[in-house]
Amino acid sequence: MKKAITALIAVVIIALMALGYADTAAHRAHSGGETEVDPQEIIFEHLGDAYGWEVPFNHSKRIPLPIIVRAQDGSWHAFMSNRLDEGAQYDGFQIAKGGDYNNKVVQILPDGSQYRPVDLSITKNVAGIFIAALLVLLMVFKVKNWYKKNGMKAPRRFTAALELVVDFVYTDTIRPIIGKEAPKYAPYLLTVFFFILTMNLLGLIVIFPGGANLTGNLAVTAVLALLTFLITNLTGTKHYWKEMFWPDVPTALKCPVPLMQVIELFGIFTKPIALMIRLFANMMGGHMVVIVFMLLIFIFGSMFGTAVGGAMTPLSVALSLFMLLLDVLVSFIQAYVFTILSTMFISMAHVHEHAE
Amino acid sequence: MELFKPEFGLAFWMFIAFLCLFGILAKWAWPFIIKSMEERADLIDKGVAYAQEAKAHLDNAKAEADKLIAEARNEQADILREAAKMRNELIEKAHGEAADEAKKVTEAAQVSLEQARKEAEKTLRKEVGDLALQIAEKVIRKNIASDDAQRALVDQYLSEVETKN
Repeated sequence: MKKAITALIAVVIIALMALGYADTAAHRAHSGGETEVDPQEIIFEHLGDAYGWEVPFNHSKRIPLPIIVRAQDGSWHAFMSNRLDEGAQYDGFQIAKGGDYNNKVVQILPDGSQYRPVDLSITKNVAGIFIAALLVLLMVFKVKNWYKKNGMKAPRRFTAALELVVDFVYTDTIRPIIGKEAPKYAPYLLTVFFFILTMNLLGLIVIFPGGANLTGNLAVTAVLALLTFLITNLTGTKHYWKEMFWPDVPTALKCPVPLMQVIELFGIFTKPIALMIRLFANMMGGHMVVIVFMLLIFIFGSMFGTAVGGAMTPLSVALSLFMLLLDVLVSFIQAYVFTILSTMFISMAHVHEHAE
Repeated sequence: MELFKPEFGLAFWMFIAFLCLFGILAKWAWPFIIKSMEERADLIDKGVAYAQEAKAHLDNAKAEADKLIAEARNEQADILREAAKMRNELIEKAHGEAADEAKKVTEAAQVSLEQARKEAEKTLRKEVGDLALQIAEKVIRKNIASDDAQRALVDQYLSEVETKN
């Protein structure tokens, strides 16, 4: 049975590869002759945001998503992204090619210049965030409903796996670090953990509803880090602020020149920034390496001929498969690291006099 | 580079989405899940403690039962020993009594035997006397001719007496 499944998967993969090859060949024939592969453009196209969601085996079709923009005169415009496909102009808006606003919606002003409107479009990444949030909702309520329905009985299957993760994050991480105040901060930390984990894993699935590089995007991680920053500093105890502005160090270090204060203040900001960069860089790096391994086929193909490129295929596929599997691990680790560091920052802001 | 410029729209929606998710989960899901999980952990801890206690109880009960059984065994052995002793005593007593009775019976028998013998002797003597008298009578009656003839006669009568007796 297992062998049959493995064989089936192999056949499907080979068929997909053949399809992809035929597709590429057709594309080349269509556009007339060899087209130069630009690795950088492909990488940033895959890692970046888009106004539509690409579908497998088709280079031009996109799942249309709503574009919501505020024009220069203050009026709001909303329309589907397929109206701007292939560089079309609609309602004075267009997706810019090149320039400062590459691949972004711009308004073409009467004088021909480009104006970047306030852009609240439901882009691919925004839709991905909504999908991830919905999935987290479903998963968490699955666990909750189990408890509601079955009370003290042990859950099974997927619910049990979820519960195990909740237990791991809450009982083994949040509670030991924060202590008796854990129930107050656990909802935020658990939400962060599951949201990041879901976004990370969704990013690894190449087709809809996955494929959006969410946690490998600075805006997303910045929001998460900002929230941790706000919670840490808004709930900080008096003692936390005292340590900040009048720490227990020799007076020479803090009085005439506020050396310690500057360092501490700097620390407040470096902590969330480190959180933001760590998650962003890890996830984006993972995605980038996978794509680069795949692109090795085309890079070698254009450098040494198609035969060499073809020969590279098994190695490339094996390497990117390995990286993808590694990314599954990294997804969990990075979600966990973000959560545990947030937990520690929050707990460090709750120092009490007697705790020393 | 686009990747390193945070997009305002994305951050805005991310913020909204996260706040909604957090609000819903923090209000309706997480506290309930955490409470349930802790309750269940407590229940399991209690269950384990209870089971351990029950096991200790059971072990105790077993020891107690063993003790009771041993006691009962001892008692049983005592009773059996006593019973055996009593039986022996009874038998001995019965033996003694029987021996006494037998002795009495024997003695009585001897006494009656003696009496019977004495009576028999008396009768015998009387009969022997009678016989002797009869013989003498006969001897006298025959007119004793010769010694030999008389002797033979006496012999004859004696043997007669003997055979009679």
